Amino acid sequence: MTAYVLRRLLGLFPVLVAAIILTFAANRFVPGDPITIMLGDQGGNVVLERKLRAEYGLDRPVSVQFVDYVSGLARGDFGLSFRYPGVPVTQVIKDALWISPLLAAAALTLAIPIGIALGVLAALRRNTLADTGIILILVAGLSIPNFALAAFFVWGFALKLGWFPVAGWTTWKHAVLPVVILAIPAAAYLARLARTFMLEVLQQDYVRTARAKGLSERLVVWRHSLRNVLVPILTVCGLIFGGLITGTIVVETIFNIPGLGRIAIESIFARDYPVTMAIVMLFTLFYAVINFAVDVLYGLVDPRIRVEAVR
Amino acid sequence: MISRKLARSLVLATTMALGMTAAAQARDLRININADPEMIDPITFSALIAGDVLRNVYENFTKVDENGKVLPALALKWTASADNLNWRIELRPNVKFHTGRPFGAKDVKASFEALLAPGSKAGLQLQYLQRIVGAKDVQDGKTKDLVGVKIVSPLVVEVAFTAPDVLFPIYPFMFFDTQVVADKGPNWFMQTSAGTGPFQFVSWQRGQNVQLKAFKDYYGGAPKIDGLRFVVVPSEETAVTMYEAGELDVLVPASTDLSRRIMRDAKLKAQAQMTPNAQITFLGMNQNLYAPFKDKRVREAFCISIDRDAMTRGLFGGLAQPLYGQITPGIAGYNPSVKKIAYDPERAKKLMADAGFPNGRGLPPLKIANLAPFRNEIAYYADQWKQVLGIQVDLDIQERATFLRSLNAGETPFFSWGWSAGYPDALYYLSQVWHSKSPFNRARYSNPGFDALIDRATITADDATRYRQYHAAEALLLDDWGTCGLFMRTAVTVVKPNVKGVVLSPMRILPYGKVTIN
Repeated sequence: MTAYVLRRLLGLFPVLVAAIILTFAANRFVPGDPITIMLGDQGGNVVLERKLRAEYGLDRPVSVQFVDYVSGLARGDFGLSFRYPGVPVTQVIKDALWISPLLAAAALTLAIPIGIALGVLAALRRNTLADTGIILILVAGLSIPNFALAAFFVWGFALKLGWFPVAGWTTWKHAVLPVVILAIPAAAYLARLARTFMLEVLQQDYVRTARAKGLSERLVVWRHSLRNVLVPILTVCGLIFGGLITGTIVVETIFNIPGLGRIAIESIFARDYPVTMAIVMLFTLFYAVINFAVDVLYGLVDPRIRVEAVR
Repeated sequence: MISRKLARSLVLATTMALGMTAAAQARDLRININADPEMIDPITFSALIAGDVLRNVYENFTKVDENGKVLPALALKWTASADNLNWRIELRPNVKFHTGRPFGAKDVKASFEALLAPGSKAGLQLQYLQRIVGAKDVQDGKTKDLVGVKIVSPLVVEVAFTAPDVLFPIYPFMFFDTQVVADKGPNWFMQTSAGTGPFQFVSWQRGQNVQLKAFKDYYGGAPKIDGLRFVVVPSEETAVTMYEAGELDVLVPASTDLSRRIMRDAKLKAQAQMTPNAQITFLGMNQNLYAPFKDKRVREAFCISIDRDAMTRGLFGGLAQPLYGQITPGIAGYNPSVKKIAYDPERAKKLMADAGFPNGRGLPPLKIANLAPFRNEIAYYADQWKQVLGIQVDLDIQERATFLRSLNAGETPFFSWGWSAGYPDALYYLSQVWHSKSPFNRARYSNPGFDALIDRATITADDATRYRQYHAAEALLLDDWGTCGLFMRTAVTVVKPNVKGVVLSPMRILPYGKVTIN
């Protein structure tokens, strides 16, 4: 198991290195220049432009800037923000750091049990009114875009009923609507998968054997079927988490949550290279870590996988 | 097992990260800002949102009311010497800094020295200090003593200039207690408040809000509210919903789209305040780059082919007013009796024919440049020129930085653009945009008569005389059709009915010191 975990862990590095190189290149070669943006009305003021360029180290060749940046990273130094004069990148993203992954994790935690329960229920009640009803809800959950859902929820639960605040990020109440809105499509997706997998498992020989042995339906479902449904679901959870993290960008904008997603957009528009770089790296890291976690969990749930990996 | 542990730690983490701070205090005035302030210290201060926040914390010699009238603030009296090379400024007694120390002449000098210190990264205010005697030596690090500023007594300061600077008392300085730099280090502004304004800085949570609290010892009387909370709300849709749900007391729309939406909503409209923005807009016709513009008749024809009334009604849905001159109301020196520019297609056609371009025949190809957000405006002008003059003017939509660089280099033959007042005096518009020596004279307009009047105005300390010089200069510029005004956008602010004392001026919202909440 340790060897399996180590090998997976080592696999993270090339991913991060690739992310650093790609974002650095994308930032520098995309049209638009932070100094011209800073200059504003002073555009064309050569003296000021040269001074600013030197101050931010942008007058050096790109290769030198890259080496400088990477060696800074190695020391844990992410550089200074371009948009906020003199403020370190770490300070710009410090407060926001946990918000996006937290929203995504909370939504996933909410979506997994609901999704699996709905899916399994639909599979067990296959071709009944309950099944059709659940499928209808799932289709709606998957196809209504989250900004539309958000507008509807805000109108209903915040403006009309007054149960939750419209937007902001101070009390736990502020987190409820965004998490639910993120969780709905994720739960719907999981439920559809769970239903398909469950139907497949219920056809398997060992399930038939278990039933033939005279085991109660509850034991057949809980012990023999559900565990086998969990394996493929787990793999998908990693992907869903990635989707949720990206989804937070929209939700954070609508609910005015100061998360990484919102800062990412603002820094991209301001050509704040150091902040953009740091956020892209963080997103990559979150993605990689959750996939790593899924791999490890996968090995735990299905012993055959870690055995194969070690061989 | 593992998943249960994971779930538990997730819940724990959620609780911690949300911080569970107390709900917003009921008596804070909550105002939206559409992005974080760019900075929060009075030295590097240079931008719009930072200004909206910091004007409540830091003050200047003078202040301006909503009609553009200059009133005393930290200074009570200011008099220029006969040669205009000296200002004697008498300061208001009994003014305290938020730090508890008294404000006086030494602080004026120290604030200027802090701005000029080498490596201070001073922003906007630096340009207003350049003419003080000895400023360059301080900037170059030769001395720390700004010799041009003399402390006559604890409450009287005399400022000497290398060249007359009659507007010195109205420049937007932000005086602060420089002692905090020694006490708290270079990052003092995140930890303490060092102004004299009605509100003290408390905290800035990036991406969330800037919190200010009432300054009980404010010389103008302690504010009647507990504080101000500037809530960072980038999405305007969200800002409107928050206002409707009572999570904001003041809604400041940043875009014309939202302003228009407010005007269509009867309830919001009833709570709205409106005033023309302190911003001129104009046609830039570069006579060096496009020869036909050398002919005054051509310039006039282009100007009078635009129907300003129809445009402000149709294109802006009433959220703009025609602008005929190059000074806006609410700015000192505004001339309310400036001549209207009538929409006159017949005269325009005749002028073009007289100039040798009947129906636009014989004109070299022409493009009008601007940025994408202003596409509709230039499309309207181009359509008018096509219909009235028979001239095909193409639209040249440019990227912002490229556009500004080319404007500043004087390389754009034809454009429409604007200029927002940095201080409430017409000189800001006239000298910066139309004086031939100004780097921001982007149409490269040159009129010796106009220059002479402005040069004289810059050394005339007496307001009434100076305003007459402005009017004469503006008339010269307009009679020559060197340019023509286009429109003034209307600023809109929506205020809850239980909030009183919020004043929208042409130069943004005045400090909130007199606000009450019922």
